[in-house]
Amino acid sequence: MLRLIDRQEVIRMARLARLELSEAEVEQYQADLTNFLTSGKKLQKVDVSAVEGTSHAVSITHELRKDEVGSSLPREEVLSAGPETVDGFFKVPRIVEEQE
Amino acid sequence: MRNLAHLLETRQVSSREIVKHYLGEIKQQEPDLNAFITVDDVGALAQADAADMRRSQGNPLSPWDGIPIAVKDNISTKGLKTTCASRFLSNYKPLFDASVVRSLRDAGMPILGKTNLDEFAMGSSTEYSAYGVARNPHDRTRVSGGSSGGSAAAVAAGEAPWSLGTDTGGSIRQPASFCGVVGLKPTYGWVSRYGVVALAPSLDQVGPMARTVEDAAILFSLLAGPDPKDATSADARNFEVPFWDDQFVKDLKIGVPEEFFGEGLHPDVEKAVRRSLRTLEGQGATLVPISLATNDYAIDTYLTLVTAEASSSLARYDGVRYGERVHAADSNTMFSKSRAAGFGPEVKRRIMLGTYVLSASHYEAYYEQAQRVRTLIKLDVLDAFKQVDVIITPTTPTTAFTIGAKRNPLEMYLSDLFTAMANLSGIPALSVPCGTDPKGLPIGLQIMGSHFREELLFKVGYVVERSAAR
Amino acid sequence: MTRYDTVIGLEIHVALLTQSKFLCSCRASFGAPPNSQCCPVCLGLPGTLPLINEKAVEYATKAGLALKCNINHYSRFDRKNYFYPDLPKAFQITQDAFPLCNDGYLEYYVDDQLVRTAITRIHLEEEAGKLIHSGESIVASEYSLVDYNRAGIPLIEIVTAPDIHQPKQARLFLEQLRLLMSYIGVSDTKMEEGSLRCDANISLKPSGSPVLGTKVEIKNLNSFRALEKALEYEEIRQSQVLDSGAKVRQESRTWDDRAGKTVSMRSKGDAPDYRIFPEPDLPPLNLDPVWVELIAASIPELPLERLNRLEGEYGLSRYEATFLVNYPDFGELFLELADSGLDCKTVVNFLMGDYARLAREKGHLDSERIAGLFQILDERLISQTQAKEVLDALFSSPQTAREIVKDKGMEVVGDPERLRPIVHQVLEANPQLVERFKLGETKLHGFFVGQVMRATQGKADPEAVNALLQEELVN
Repeated sequence: MLRLIDRQEVIRMARLARLELSEAEVEQYQADLTNFLTSGKKLQKVDVSAVEGTSHAVSITHELRKDEVGSSLPREEVLSAGPETVDGFFKVPRIVEEQE
Repeated sequence: MRNLAHLLETRQVSSREIVKHYLGEIKQQEPDLNAFITVDDVGALAQADAADMRRSQGNPLSPWDGIPIAVKDNISTKGLKTTCASRFLSNYKPLFDASVVRSLRDAGMPILGKTNLDEFAMGSSTEYSAYGVARNPHDRTRVSGGSSGGSAAAVAAGEAPWSLGTDTGGSIRQPASFCGVVGLKPTYGWVSRYGVVALAPSLDQVGPMARTVEDAAILFSLLAGPDPKDATSADARNFEVPFWDDQFVKDLKIGVPEEFFGEGLHPDVEKAVRRSLRTLEGQGATLVPISLATNDYAIDTYLTLVTAEASSSLARYDGVRYGERVHAADSNTMFSKSRAAGFGPEVKRRIMLGTYVLSASHYEAYYEQAQRVRTLIKLDVLDAFKQVDVIITPTTPTTAFTIGAKRNPLEMYLSDLFTAMANLSGIPALSVPCGTDPKGLPIGLQIMGSHFREELLFKVGYVVERSAAR
Repeated sequence: MTRYDTVIGLEIHVALLTQSKFLCSCRASFGAPPNSQCCPVCLGLPGTLPLINEKAVEYATKAGLALKCNINHYSRFDRKNYFYPDLPKAFQITQDAFPLCNDGYLEYYVDDQLVRTAITRIHLEEEAGKLIHSGESIVASEYSLVDYNRAGIPLIEIVTAPDIHQPKQARLFLEQLRLLMSYIGVSDTKMEEGSLRCDANISLKPSGSPVLGTKVEIKNLNSFRALEKALEYEEIRQSQVLDSGAKVRQESRTWDDRAGKTVSMRSKGDAPDYRIFPEPDLPPLNLDPVWVELIAASIPELPLERLNRLEGEYGLSRYEATFLVNYPDFGELFLELADSGLDCKTVVNFLMGDYARLAREKGHLDSERIAGLFQILDERLISQTQAKEVLDALFSSPQTAREIVKDKGMEVVGDPERLRPIVHQVLEANPQLVERFKLGETKLHGFFVGQVMRATQGKADPEAVNALLQEELVN
């Protein structure tokens, strides 16, 4: 089957999206991406030179929020859903790399 | 719903009785239907009692005080599990109510429970739910549609008088069509998205689902309005439920786009829709053949944008602050394992696709291109409304398919063939049942209007509804 | 050895001093107990939406105007997507494609030469939370702790052109930028609290060559000094690499302050792919030109403007003017006092001298009370020698100078009739010294004056004492 996207690319996407994939899943998504790209080719051909992109379907304007302090959540509530908390902090295991 | 409200007002029935009735229906039908993920009997009854108390003191919060409702499980309800039908959020209880839920509570409506959906609202059948598919009340071997399958099925089966759904590419309208109920996707921005778990922020909208057009309009009137918590909410006036209007059909120009009546449309569906169109014509409306050629690009544009936005919206599920964490020695692995374990295959698929179209080397060719095609689609639609008042199409190409029938994801995406255009252009669209096929499966008719013209959709909806009842 | 030109560019993050955060209304202050200033929005809970803080936009615009930038009436927000425990939504709301400001500059003195550094752009973005690592460094820690109090604080990112040519200049630029930000009141610019951060890019090119060299990014610079030292280190390191014929590697390096060197950060392979796209939850920012004008009108006198004015109109030296500009509280005092008619040089010497020492410890006095001190000196109510004591007292009492003098009975005694007996006493008590004076040891005069002062607890008017001694001794 013609693959429009190579395996390395799929693995790179999975890494970017922080999704651990099994071998079978890598193959599956390689196929899915290929199908999508094939079908999406027709979009590439559309002449869009006359228009800009639409980020908002309906033109929105919104008044900016006034700089007033509102109430924050009580700390116990903030931490309540946390899978692991320590002394008021959220705990995470070793961060291997510096921030990207 | 007016009847029910009247009964409550005249104290012929209590809220508790009403809620008990629905809880009873739920109890009876649920194991089979699976329309609900969480049923809150204790909470609903307590809210019902509070409503009864208010009525006895003569201060109901609204005419609908005490009438219960079901809420799709991707809408935040404070203290009540909101799972989005995902394993990742299987134990997540929001610390706040969505603004739309606030509106329901302000009207005094007890919440029966949270309805089933495709995981994170990604899907067209509810088969992608981590809690099992929601079955179609008309035929339990078939899907109720998606992603708001549970909300549609609950109303169709009489488990709830009305419900809230969300619609990103057709997720209210398609299940409404499959289950034979009314569903509205409002104008983008007219209903607040605050507290609604995001799938694709530029496309998502919350909408009402109900048994009748009027009920849907009533529910919509409680939801519509600006919300200071949502910067994308429109500064539009509140909506008033329109009255039945005999005369307006005579001046009505209805656009019938040829692209929506071509290949892929099931003959039974076509027949029912055309019959309704003829009825409207008989009453004085003018049918205007139009062309919405850009609908050809709608699905691909929609897929590109929805997956891109979804891949970003779902990145916050990393297991740090909430959700089901899978432990690992380092954070990156923890993220990857938690997400892999918590998300189902369709969610992963869309995240992969979305990541791809947004990635630096592909951005211009895919995402930016799709944004621009979206503009073309929007212009095409707005152009059509210069000639006509409303556009009528079938809601879906077919009636409800059997569970397990669509194995190919791309095939599943085609369910949105007629609905995605409304989300891409931000216009309102209403699905109204207009008949059944020989198997007795409901058929839905879609009415689209220009921005903020929901009242027109409902008025046309009344006519379609009345004629279908005959 | 070939000579190289150093090319430096800076990327500075300034936290804006708003009351609430950028995108939600949690309090935006420093030092609260962890996770006590959070809400569903800044925690990135499912379903939450951002709301732009008007004051953040105002302050960002003000900063842009102060840096002589072009303010874009249309600007837009974007999502920058990446995973990190301190980033609640796993994307940062920033401005990538259409920033708020562009094309400005900052002028400042480097060794008495006025230089200009171009500012390429300024944009608004949100801050991430804070991480505390269990070990010595991130990678050496078994776990880390996250505090989201800072998550969502408004920041502006200021990017300079690669316009800076020596490490010292970079430090001076940053100092001046910091000063400017505090003058316009948009930030408290405390590097130790993280409200001012700076990353640097540095490259070397053969002297005179138009082609820029490979740039290296330096991170983890926690002080002005660190900035200068890290860049100095890099200059040497890179020139050694180039001298040896090798190429400088494009990378990010972190400054290790203790070791005094930059260290390569673990290479990640590819450049990060942030998948930036327009933020769908926020409308674009459309600024009303009238509003921008109002902000421009609210900008106070800026450091360089004040420096020029102090030198030009008040005749101060560069050194004096720089002091007053760098310490604007002193600058304000100076202006109030000088504008009220007092002699500029006297005032500036006073402020920079005894006053500065005391004020640093005990806080400032208001200009009125200082003027009061000058007034009574002018009236000769007290002597110069007494001034110090009165000044000290001004810092510990709410009274005016005049009141203090009265209370302490410090008025100068100038009446010759009151002083004469004391002068006589002193001279009679020291006959040998008087003899020695008359024989030519004129510097004993000071001794006699001192003795009179002692006898009068310093209250004797020196001029009157001199006159009396003159009379007595000559006879």
